[in-house]
Amino acid sequence: MNLTLPAGLAGNLRTALTPSRIMPTITLIVLILIVGGIQPQFFSAYSLQSLASAAGPLILLSCGEFAAILLGGTDLSIGAITALGTVLTAMWLGHTSSWLVIIAVLVIMAGMGAVNGAVNVVAQIPSFITTLGTMGLWTGVALVISGAQSIEVIDPAALSWLANYSGGVPNGFILALIAAVILGLAMRYLPGGHLGMYAVGWAESAAVMSGLRVAWIKITAFTLAGLFSGLAALVLVGQTSSGDPTSAASFLLPAIASVIVGGNAITGGAGSVYRAVIGACIITVVENGISVVGISAFTEQIIYGVVLIFAAGLTMDRSRVGVVK
Amino acid sequence: MSTESETVLAIRSITKRFPGVTALDNVSLEVRKHEVVGLIGENGSGKSTLLKIISGVQQPDEGTVEVRGKKVSFASPAQALAHGIGMVYQEQSLVPALTVAENIFLGMPGTSRFGVYRWREMRERAAGELERLGLRMDPKAVVEEFSFAQRQMLEITRVMQLGQRSGHEPLVILDEPTSVLEQGEIDILFEQIRRLREQGSVIFVSHRLDEVLAVADRVYVLRDGHCVAETPTAQASTAHLLAQMVGREISDGHYSEDLQVPYDEGEPALRAEGLSTGPECRDVSFELRKGEVLGIAGVIGSGREDLCRALFGAVPVKQGRLWLGGRRVRFRSPAAAARAGIGYLPAERRIEGAVMGMSVAENMVLAAPSQVSRGPFLSRGHWLKEVERWCERLRIKTPSGATSIGLLSGGNQQKVVLAKWMLKQNLKVLILDHPARGLDIGAKQEVYRIIRELAQAGLGVILIADTLEEVISLSHTVLVMKDGVVQRRLDAPRGAKPEQVEIVEHMV
Repeated sequence: MNLTLPAGLAGNLRTALTPSRIMPTITLIVLILIVGGIQPQFFSAYSLQSLASAAGPLILLSCGEFAAILLGGTDLSIGAITALGTVLTAMWLGHTSSWLVIIAVLVIMAGMGAVNGAVNVVAQIPSFITTLGTMGLWTGVALVISGAQSIEVIDPAALSWLANYSGGVPNGFILALIAAVILGLAMRYLPGGHLGMYAVGWAESAAVMSGLRVAWIKITAFTLAGLFSGLAALVLVGQTSSGDPTSAASFLLPAIASVIVGGNAITGGAGSVYRAVIGACIITVVENGISVVGISAFTEQIIYGVVLIFAAGLTMDRSRVGVVK
Repeated sequence: MSTESETVLAIRSITKRFPGVTALDNVSLEVRKHEVVGLIGENGSGKSTLLKIISGVQQPDEGTVEVRGKKVSFASPAQALAHGIGMVYQEQSLVPALTVAENIFLGMPGTSRFGVYRWREMRERAAGELERLGLRMDPKAVVEEFSFAQRQMLEITRVMQLGQRSGHEPLVILDEPTSVLEQGEIDILFEQIRRLREQGSVIFVSHRLDEVLAVADRVYVLRDGHCVAETPTAQASTAHLLAQMVGREISDGHYSEDLQVPYDEGEPALRAEGLSTGPECRDVSFELRKGEVLGIAGVIGSGREDLCRALFGAVPVKQGRLWLGGRRVRFRSPAAAARAGIGYLPAERRIEGAVMGMSVAENMVLAAPSQVSRGPFLSRGHWLKEVERWCERLRIKTPSGATSIGLLSGGNQQKVVLAKWMLKQNLKVLILDHPARGLDIGAKQEVYRIIRELAQAGLGVILIADTLEEVISLSHTVLVMKDGVVQRRLDAPRGAKPEQVEIVEHMV
């Protein structure tokens, strides 16, 4: 009997190159070529660098949202958590060691995610409503503590390394990729990820009856969403040297769109971190590309919307997803 | 005895297959004019598939359907209705916000002119329809104020009315109509069914045998996709029908009874004292020894499913105590029960047993990932070996470990679910809820053999079986439950198995 397991990282090249797996990457490349074809300036080092800088936070948010969506849930609060994170980071930096600030922000943001998960699991409130509620809550907190003002960092040098470049690549982008790779490896090699999260997403009742600790798996997923929002907040503060309490809404929908445009199932159970990352890159390229190509502000939304729908149509892994909702 | 003209519906040698399962195998059935035909069978016997074919929801793979002597092939429920055949579903299809009259004529031509209801005409016709069935209902009343039983009557009226539009006397199918009714309401329903008989024909489906005997003229018994009996109710008894329903078909070798070895009297694997989950399951006490297969017999609603789910932590225990291997335990979740060493094979394989979108390899290690891990990480090398080992040991036929479990046959799926628990090192007790349900004979035999091996290896096994014969043959001990209470405990050692009647008399 010929037994093969799902391809590992160093695994079976043939499985890795099946159409459904490479479609997201191909879609991304085609989009880049289209934008670059219309406006060759798109390929300049400066343009690519700013593209990568913009992609960094979105990749992180997309990874966080992916964890929630994989379980069949939604996290609407990641934008609000990120906004609050930028405010807290901007307020604290310069007053104490920046490492302490980084750790504190990450722990608090992860904790907020855990609260989402716990409310969802313990009180049995749908994650959509739970996180809609906490979205309002954390947005409000961010506005109150900042006085609804953008907060400038006293010591901009503290996190500026995130806005610097290593070998021409923005550090924020590198950090996002490292975090994504770690998450991807965890999803592949930790039983709670590879088996637990996917099983809960596919068929929660089967996961329960297999003795999986479904409550903990769900709380973990939302905690990850919070943690990645925290990372995104740090990168944003590093890039802008300020904390913006009103930015919540601008993060949320692009993050959800990234997950889906990468070809992950919104119903949960199917998908991968790789798809979430590529999805974030696609969204960034479309957003930046539209302005690079020089489309008027009025038609911008039209192009963005249409391209999004086409991209999702191309990247979806239809072999794994039976019902599209 | 019947002539063609009297036969409303004739199902001839119908076979329906689903991947891995033959739901109906060469089943024939006849419904005559002004006749109530009862249809009984356990879950998985093929009842609902047969109803779906009659009402046009599904199409048979082989065999023919004849309506009033003419061969037909229904592509949809609408086409069945056009021939006067309509089904009253368990889940109701009325629109609660609309009136009685609107519901009766919902979506039908001739009730409106230029898109506007002709209210008065519709009400008058609705009143006529209701009167024909002897129902006292105001056509103007809004359905949401009605009780469940009233809505059911209305639904029957609607189906009758739809059926009559075919120009023939309709055939109405009632699928478990009594399952949610009180006794008084059931009496009224039976009165209605007798009225329906005067105006057409009825197929009445129930798992309550006394009801079928009370209302039907003839009864068909389905078991494992076969029609095992067709009896006039005048000549049938409850015990007789039950025996046919739960089965007495297969030779001794089928259950590998020779493989049953006596269990060790000494060590208890699981002990329950006064376990209650509520009215469904009350004050249950038993002892399960290592190597013992404890079968639980009972009809639907006897509380045996509740008991098993409670043992696995999937239903909260309200009262009583539980010991696992001599240690007092209390499970708040299936996860806690699984950690302590209890496994559970659910009856709903496709929903609760296996994660259908995941691969064979992934499903197999769900309950015991540490078996294929090194440290905290999954080890692909060990995983591969382990999957290969179990596929070989349980003779699981799969193209590869990476194959989605949904693509396997039912028997192979079930073996993967069994392997999932067998992989667990500290497994002490395995609860099997209908382990052979929906499997073909060959796969059943293999599952039986695995159950024997598990017991031999010292596991305590609790079994809810599909048929009485299965439970008697596979068990060392049989608990008989009725209305949530254990009625009787019977020893069933090899060579001295109890008779089915001994069990049946405590079941009903």
